[in-house]
Amino acid sequence: MEMNVTRRQFLKLSGAVAATLAIVELGFDDKTAKAKSGEFKIAKLKPTPTICPYCSVGCGILVYANENDVVYTEGDPDHPINEGTLCSKGTTVRQVYTSEKRITKPMYRAPGSSKWEEVDWEFAFDKVVKNIKETRDKSFIHQEGGVTVNRTDAIAYLGGAALDNEECHLNHKLFRAGLGLSYIEHQARI
Amino acid sequence: MADYIKFVDVTKCDGCRACMVACKNWNDLPTATEEYSGSIQSHAKVNAHTWNVITYNEHETTNGNFEWLFRHQSCLHCVEAACEKACPEDAISHTKFGSVVIDADKCVGCGYCAQNCTFDVVELATYKDKHGKEYRKAQKCTLCTDRLEEGLQPACVTACHTECLVYDEKNKVLAEAEVRLSKIKERFPNANIYNPQGIKGTTTVYLLAEKPSVYGLPENPKVPLSQVVWKDYAQPLGKAMFGVTTMAVVGSVIAHAIKKDSGDHKGGQDHE
Repeated sequence: MEMNVTRRQFLKLSGAVAATLAIVELGFDDKTAKAKSGEFKIAKLKPTPTICPYCSVGCGILVYANENDVVYTEGDPDHPINEGTLCSKGTTVRQVYTSEKRITKPMYRAPGSSKWEEVDWEFAFDKVVKNIKETRDKSFIHQEGGVTVNRTDAIAYLGGAALDNEECHLNHKLFRAGLGLSYIEHQARI
Repeated sequence: MADYIKFVDVTKCDGCRACMVACKNWNDLPTATEEYSGSIQSHAKVNAHTWNVITYNEHETTNGNFEWLFRHQSCLHCVEAACEKACPEDAISHTKFGSVVIDADKCVGCGYCAQNCTFDVVELATYKDKHGKEYRKAQKCTLCTDRLEEGLQPACVTACHTECLVYDEKNKVLAEAEVRLSKIKERFPNANIYNPQGIKGTTTVYLLAEKPSVYGLPENPKVPLSQVVWKDYAQPLGKAMFGVTTMAVVGSVIAHAIKKDSGDHKGGQDHE
């Protein structure tokens, strides 16, 4: 066979060989397999420090949130109590915001009613204030055995672990000195 | 960069499960509910959406004592990883951190890795695309490679409050492991450091209180020879054969075209 390879044919041929080599090259390349990672999910987010709302230990938590959602939470490494660690319950704190079961509006269950209904904040505050005032006025004891006591035994107050020291102090002032409650408790002692 | 490893001192674990939740939290993994088994253990073993599980093992020692043995179970990131060898798509690879990661773009969901994993920690997750068609991807612990790249520790290690989980320089950790081992030997005579050399060690090293088998770990795991042959010899050879075949086919087509070309144009110089 006589092969008169022209310039055009030569170009065609070398192109085809290059393409073939490229295919083979791809087939052999097993070194490019590399860990693929998407965008680092907290890259552009500024953490907001907060206190865990659950038990009385009061661990510090960093909350990473964007405009719409809480993206990640973890123990605050600068917090003296937990130094970055967190328990399984505290680690779920993100769900306080993201959970579908989260209640976002005040709920009211009327006396004798069996179901909760959504109410607005104004209604809720008014109701709380009115009930406290009525109950306190009705049950207030000025004197007992000749001693001025100025207290009510009809209302109790329960604080929670999400309150910090100063908030507890203020609440104490409001409820003991202000309203005259003596039944003041804290969830962490129960 | 010095080599870093994850170290799990099971005798320090108090079974709080913070590592499990931290993993779900960082990796945005959905819940994977399982039926109550009668044990405090939440899941029978790790699964596609639960990349680490604390196992609770009620164990009676040889002298009749009761020990409640916990173990943080997750991918061990073997130096010689059977899953990597088994993967026909080269979707599984080692990172510079020693972690074994699955490239979801390359994974076709064949499940060979899940079948061949030495420690049974890979599982296929089923997803639905926008047309409602189901597809599968292998899922497992990544050692939080994305966090390591940013200089952070794995999420589980960050959460751990008993220092049962440690991520640190390999030499330092292994030396510390020996010290810990000598300390617990009195209570746990069978205690050992689990870093199986049959698979050239793992990037997660355990300090176990009992024999590996008590924790459901293989005593001396090895990557089956068939897989080594498959990945290191058969597959490259197959690719080479593929290359040769392609070359031959393309070559013959070209040769044919040239022959035809020269036949058609009788010298073909009219338009050159």
